[in-house]
Amino acid sequence: MASTSDIRDKLRRKHRALRASLERRRDDTQEVTGGEEEEVAETLRRSLRTQRQRRRKKLLEKMNADESWVEEEVAGAVVEEDGTVQVFHRDERSDDAAELGAVASPSGRPPRELPPLPTPKENTMERRMREKLKAARSKAESLLLQEEPASRLQALRERDTRTRFDREAGVEPRPRRDDASPPLAGRATLRDAVRRVGMDAQTETGLPTAEESYNFFTFNFDPEPEEKHHPRQHKKREQDKGEEPGEDEEERQQDEEEEEEEERGDEGGEDLFLIEQSDKDFVEVKRAEYVGYYERVQRERELFFVPSTRTVPASRKLPENMQPRFLEDEGLYVGERPVVSRTNENIMENRILRQDQDKKWFGDDGRVIVLPDPIKESPTRPPLFHMEGELDPALQTVYRKAVRAKNTSRYITGAGDAQGDFQLDVDVSGLIFSHHPLFSREHVLGARLAQLYDQYLSKQQKNLTGLLTDKLNGLRNTIRNMLELHAGQGLSQATQHRIAEYTQEIRYTRQMRDASQEKDRILMKSIVKVWKELKALREFQRFTNTPYKLYLRREEVDRDFDEQQHKAEIQAEVAELQAEAEEHYEKMMSDYRRMHEEWKRWRRKQKALKTKKKKRRQTSLEEDEEEESEEELGEEPPRPEQPQEPDPEAVEQQVREKAARIRRKPGEAVLVPELTASCSVTPSDQCPRAEFARRQDVSKRSLFIKVLYNGKVVSRTDSRSLSADFRVHFGQIFNLKIVNWPESIELQVFETVGTSTTQMADVFIPIPEASILTGRAPSEEVEFSSDQRVMFNHEGVGSGVPFSFESDGSNRLTLLTSGKVSCCVSWAVGEDNVPLAPPIAHPTGAIHSGIRQMDAIACIGASGVNDMKKLRKWAADSRLDPNDPNNASVMQLLSMVSGGEENVPDYFRLEQLQEEFNFVPDEELDKSRRFRLLRLRSQEVGEFRNYKNVPALEREVSDKVFQEYEKRLREREIVDTKDHLDAHRALVAKYLQKVRESVINRFLIAKHHFLLSDLVVEEEVPTIGGPGTGVLGLNLFKLAEPKRPLKPRRKERKKVSAQNLSDGDIKLLLNVIRAYDLPVRKPQSSKPPATSKPGRSFTEPFPAAQSSHSTIQGSDWPMNQVLIRPFVEVTFQRTVLQTSTAEGPNPCWNEELLLSFTAPNGDYSTSSLQSVKDEVFINVFDEVVHDVSKGERDWNGFHACVEKHWLGSVKIPFSTIYLQSRIDGTFKVEMPPVLLGYSKERGLVSEGGYDAIRSLSEGAFITLFITIEPQLVPGETIREKMKDVKFESQEDERLLLASQFFERDAAQHFPARPCLTTVIDINGKSVFVTRYIRPLNPPQELLDLAPNASQEATELVARYVALIPSLPDTVSFAGVCDLWSTCDQFLTLLAGDEEEHAVLLCNYFLAMGKKAWLIIGTAIPEGHSAYVLTYEQNRYVIWNPSSGQYYGQYDTFCPLQAVGCLINADNVWFNLQMYDAPARMSFDVSKSKFWKPFFSRAFSHPGLSSVQPEELVYQRTDKAAAAELQDRIEKILREKIMEWRPRHPTRWNRYCTSTLRHFLPKLERSGGHDVAEEHRLELQSLLGDYRISGFPLHMPFSEIRPIIEAVYSTGVHNVEASNVEFALAAYVHPYPNNVLSVWIYLASLIRTR
Amino acid sequence: MAELHIIGQILGARGFPQNSVFCKWGIHAGGAWRLLSGSREGQTQIDAPQAGEMAYWSHPIDLHYTTKGLQGWPKLHLQVLHQDSFGRCQLYGYGYCHIPSSAGHHRLQCVTWCPEGSWQEQLTQSFVGGGPQLRSPDLIYSGADRYRLQTVAMGMVELELTVILRHFDRHGVEC
Repeated sequence: MASTSDIRDKLRRKHRALRASLERRRDDTQEVTGGEEEEVAETLRRSLRTQRQRRRKKLLEKMNADESWVEEEVAGAVVEEDGTVQVFHRDERSDDAAELGAVASPSGRPPRELPPLPTPKENTMERRMREKLKAARSKAESLLLQEEPASRLQALRERDTRTRFDREAGVEPRPRRDDASPPLAGRATLRDAVRRVGMDAQTETGLPTAEESYNFFTFNFDPEPEEKHHPRQHKKREQDKGEEPGEDEEERQQDEEEEEEEERGDEGGEDLFLIEQSDKDFVEVKRAEYVGYYERVQRERELFFVPSTRTVPASRKLPENMQPRFLEDEGLYVGERPVVSRTNENIMENRILRQDQDKKWFGDDGRVIVLPDPIKESPTRPPLFHMEGELDPALQTVYRKAVRAKNTSRYITGAGDAQGDFQLDVDVSGLIFSHHPLFSREHVLGARLAQLYDQYLSKQQKNLTGLLTDKLNGLRNTIRNMLELHAGQGLSQATQHRIAEYTQEIRYTRQMRDASQEKDRILMKSIVKVWKELKALREFQRFTNTPYKLYLRREEVDRDFDEQQHKAEIQAEVAELQAEAEEHYEKMMSDYRRMHEEWKRWRRKQKALKTKKKKRRQTSLEEDEEEESEEELGEEPPRPEQPQEPDPEAVEQQVREKAARIRRKPGEAVLVPELTASCSVTPSDQCPRAEFARRQDVSKRSLFIKVLYNGKVVSRTDSRSLSADFRVHFGQIFNLKIVNWPESIELQVFETVGTSTTQMADVFIPIPEASILTGRAPSEEVEFSSDQRVMFNHEGVGSGVPFSFESDGSNRLTLLTSGKVSCCVSWAVGEDNVPLAPPIAHPTGAIHSGIRQMDAIACIGASGVNDMKKLRKWAADSRLDPNDPNNASVMQLLSMVSGGEENVPDYFRLEQLQEEFNFVPDEELDKSRRFRLLRLRSQEVGEFRNYKNVPALEREVSDKVFQEYEKRLREREIVDTKDHLDAHRALVAKYLQKVRESVINRFLIAKHHFLLSDLVVEEEVPTIGGPGTGVLGLNLFKLAEPKRPLKPRRKERKKVSAQNLSDGDIKLLLNVIRAYDLPVRKPQSSKPPATSKPGRSFTEPFPAAQSSHSTIQGSDWPMNQVLIRPFVEVTFQRTVLQTSTAEGPNPCWNEELLLSFTAPNGDYSTSSLQSVKDEVFINVFDEVVHDVSKGERDWNGFHACVEKHWLGSVKIPFSTIYLQSRIDGTFKVEMPPVLLGYSKERGLVSEGGYDAIRSLSEGAFITLFITIEPQLVPGETIREKMKDVKFESQEDERLLLASQFFERDAAQHFPARPCLTTVIDINGKSVFVTRYIRPLNPPQELLDLAPNASQEATELVARYVALIPSLPDTVSFAGVCDLWSTCDQFLTLLAGDEEEHAVLLCNYFLAMGKKAWLIIGTAIPEGHSAYVLTYEQNRYVIWNPSSGQYYGQYDTFCPLQAVGCLINADNVWFNLQMYDAPARMSFDVSKSKFWKPFFSRAFSHPGLSSVQPEELVYQRTDKAAAAELQDRIEKILREKIMEWRPRHPTRWNRYCTSTLRHFLPKLERSGGHDVAEEHRLELQSLLGDYRISGFPLHMPFSEIRPIIEAVYSTGVHNVEASNVEFALAAYVHPYPNNVLSVWIYLASLIRTR
Repeated sequence: MAELHIIGQILGARGFPQNSVFCKWGIHAGGAWRLLSGSREGQTQIDAPQAGEMAYWSHPIDLHYTTKGLQGWPKLHLQVLHQDSFGRCQLYGYGYCHIPSSAGHHRLQCVTWCPEGSWQEQLTQSFVGGGPQLRSPDLIYSGADRYRLQTVAMGMVELELTVILRHFDRHGVEC
């Protein structure tokens, strides 16, 4: 009890504090806002009060209704709990109020929760109630005081829960409050609301209504929380249900208590508001609450019920003493139970068992009663029958068969998937010959007549003359009308302008009309003429061959009218012409007057001048002449001639003449020709023999037409015999189901005579547009002709043969076979009227089209819409005559498209509101550099193909990035001659660029075709044994190998695919082993400049130099001394590395150089690596050390100057290294033909076997080993990939198949040997290789140079071919494949790779009457390459086409390493011999044991025609251009050399230069042979005082860049001696067809005195 | 100038009558959208899973769009096709889903459906394969009256997409 009172006290205090704070707050706000605030607070208070009143009222009612004993209890234990509730409630409200104070103060809005309803009535009510309450309370209190123990006991007696209640509340009041209060509070308000319903009615009476009281007893006041809190109580209740009403009562009591508590708080409310209290009482600082886990679990265990997952025994689920029944066993139908897991079921059962009426959930079998599984086995859906008929066409489905996806969208781009078939209908209806070899003369005339008549008819139909006449009349009328309208009045400017325009128009129309009239008349005349001739011929030969008969119908005309018209016409014309002439005259006159005026003025001046002069002369004779000349006037203007007055007579005369010429005379009948075929043809038996023979011949002939689609024969017509009128009717329709995109449709006309068939002509038919469908397409007549020469000995006139109609054979005429095929090609229409045509706008760029036709705009994309506006504009500008039949189609189109003005339909926009919601306009998107860069990169535009790291910010993308690209775009068409020095080369470069682009596009498909090995890179599984692959087994053997074998071999390394590489990963490994036969220095023949020098001029670092130096100096040194100190310098991608210096002409370095490699743009993909154009330059230098000239030497030390003299170089393109993966061999060092200061000395030291071999060949050699570290997987060329992707080809299917088989067979047996049967031409089509071989004439000039000596001529030709610059295909067509161009293409392009060179050379040799073959093989350094083999004087000679060198079969230094196959015009032979090195094999192709021919007896040569032209046409080269080029090269090189020596002055020795220039042509003439000696001597004698080192460079000309590059690599400019002088001369020798041979002579001179 | 990156993969498909399926996909975006890089359509390989029901393609999708408006947010449409043991292809389902508009990683499941033919067609289909296909495949995502189509629910295509948005906030779009 004490506790309760304590709590109550506490509550009260709190209440008070709250009020105080509220009050204070009010005060605070009052200060700020004044009276308004007060009002708010007042209303607040009032409303609070009213609410309480309401409750109180209810309480009173209840009190009235109940017995007073209730209150006793109320005062007891229950109060405590409710008290807490009340506190919370209050708290909340105060919070509200506080909030109100804070929030509402600025606005002064009344709070929504507390509606102000203070009415006077209520006030009285309140008072009354308070009184009542007071009374009640006093009563209760007294009762409480008196009877408390008793009531308590009573309560205890009644229910034992009470104790628990007490204890609980006592033990832990705080947590409970926290837990339970919110819902309770919520409930309280809810209840309030419920009660309020009936409130207004009750207020007056103070009595509950019937409804209220009913509610009171029946309303269920949320018993759940109680249940939760008191599970035990529940159980009890379950056991004893009779207690329930009591429980309810308790509930009610609680409620009442609550109300009362409230009331009690309110009691002291009025005065508490006034007490000031601090904030601290209002706000309480609490600790963050935390309930320990264990505690929480404990508590939760009390609160929650967790059903167990254990199986419930059946006995518990069934009523006692019952056995479970299984209905299914008893034969009753039980539906299938839905699948529920056992655990879940157990949980459910356990839970149900806790519930009351637990048993009702269980069935007889002891399981939970369930409905059978509701899910149906098959889906059902009510069919929509009523909509069946009118299904939207878009919704319609089409049944597609399951098909093998063989062709889908592979051939026809943009065809989409499974679009079905496309079908072309080719209707070949017939053939009419306009000339045929079997035409007789009469036929020729007849055909001509028919042709003329056709012309006449078509002209008649157009009726151009009539139209123009009408127009003319119309125009005249218009002018007349205008003039009449404005008669007298002055014409306005516009009208005048219009009249002038009309006059102009009239003039033009008249001319047109006259022309057309003239034509008509001429046509008519010629028809009549031909007809007359025909008649004459018939009479002459006395038989009729053709059924043509011409009738001339005369149409009489009204003479008078006609005459009148004629006259009028002439008059009008005359008038017009006169007016015109008048006008002209006027103009001329005005001109004349002006001129005349001028002339007069001049004359006057002249006169004045003269008089002046005279005077002057008279006055002072010594007048200087200067003035006179000043006074002199300009030249005398020509005296204008007066124009002639127009002569009306003449004009009229003219008009009349013309009319007589072109028009029929007035009154003359109109002639209308009519051609009929009514004339009877003379029967054959009445004809002369010749004619009879002809007719016989005609009847023997029959014709048929082959239909070719994309160059392949698809079908042919039946053969029909030629009728006597030379018409053939076929009337056949071919339905072509196509999978390839149509490229050409061709009809070949064949003629059969007896058994032999000849092709007469090809007719190419345009591919129809997709809108042309069968049934609607008009039949077209396509003309054809053939240039065959046919001659007969009968009446037939033949074709291509001159014949004449005249008996004397004059006036000869040559006619070629020609005719017309009438045919019609159109797209077929399917069964359901669907055109079987491919989509119209097939996109060009994309190749694979998954689901393309989805873009709405693209779908609409009508092709011509955009042009329509332009068309209109053009039509308006050019003032098309709408009446002109020529313009009919245009006008119709225009009228159809545009209903009115400028109503050209635009797109129907799907996104109409797009504009309004745009973030940015389009322009800004376009402007964005970053986006542009991204897009260009994704389009794989050359410059940006592998652009990495596009910046994230716009500003980081500079405009510079695009400069190059834009420049290229701009200059695509402009030919830049600056870079190329030669317009032709520039053009070629452009052309090559274009070809490359188109080829690359063409091969994109192939590029997207991946092989398994491209995608799956699998390590080889180590196996034991196995042929070749047994890695493990071999390795086991390797263990036993000696660690350092005597002859080490290079091991195969692991290959790395080039994907995940970055800069610096790839190194180029270059092993320079040794060199042979380098030239040696020649002692200066002039006196050694200072013999006293040795000894002091050389320094310590070069101990060996001493001897070498002395070699130079002392000419008396024996020859076997060191004559040269060569070293090798390797240049690759701006890195220069060099070996150490060795000695002697046969040095051995054996050094390894490591060069790093960077790919362009950091792109290490295969295609990119293949296209790397860089070359490895391997230069051999001689290190010459000599001292500095005396003057500069000082005493502190010795100065030596190291000079390097270039001896020769080897160039190896990186692409070769990449493709070969390693290059190992001995290469010939390219040396200049003349090396000043050096001579080729045969080493006297015998080196055993080498010597013998070396003597066979000239020049120096170097042994190299080059590879890439790590080893890269060379990308296969596309051709290898394309083995199963067939190229388009015009070859016969059978041939292709055979070639495929041949190649596969070859690859199977000798995988390393290249075998080539089909190659790809420049158009990307595969062509059989033998078609490239055909004898072709070499330039006559070359043959003239060496008329007799066959050997010389051969070499010359080879040299010519070698002079055509070489450009490997792999570089130019990166990642694409080998393309073979024909010889004329090659000569036009002037660039090609080894194959083209070889083909050309081979063809030249064939033309020169040699036996020549093309060798396809492997060579160093080119890799797969083509050489030429000739058979001369019982031995085979191998020619390197790109260098012009030739080797004997047994030459060891022949770069050709392996021979794969031989090709000539007739056959291809594949090498079946054991060895493929040329020295070890036989070239006798007739031996089938050694060579496997492609065409054998089983498969004979089908007579393939060559793709090469019949002969090559050479253009003479412009000598002047060559001279100009020579000057430019020299100038550029000079500048470059000076540029490369920025710190030294570069002096040019003019004398030497001119001497050198003099030598160069000699060198060219001799081909660089055998001039060295005399040459040197000559030079030496000239320049005795100088030490010269120099050499001529020779190269074919392609661009200036390689020349500069070559000059740079020689390092001549690096001479640092101060007194050095240079000499440079260039010479360009032109060969036919712009092939240029460039010589550069470079020398450095050092004065020795 | 807002940008949208879609990076992810078509993971695979499950729930189709046969497992060996492949998928043709495409992305459809409104007129305001411009593709900067990436391919907007493609086709996966055929996966014939030997174990498990799911056919995995793991087909990469990498697209970079820029847009000047929000209309026509990209949608991904799919066609699942089945290749049978004879190497013949037939349609198994159409489906489409929106590219998520919030940044981050998303795992999407795109359900597919297939038009149901008449009973004759069904009979044919069950014996010789093939099946009805839409005449105009753009109905997949622009379905106006699609409810009138008799369709069968087919399997589900799983996608994993990561969406990166850029500068949308500049234009007042909160994603």
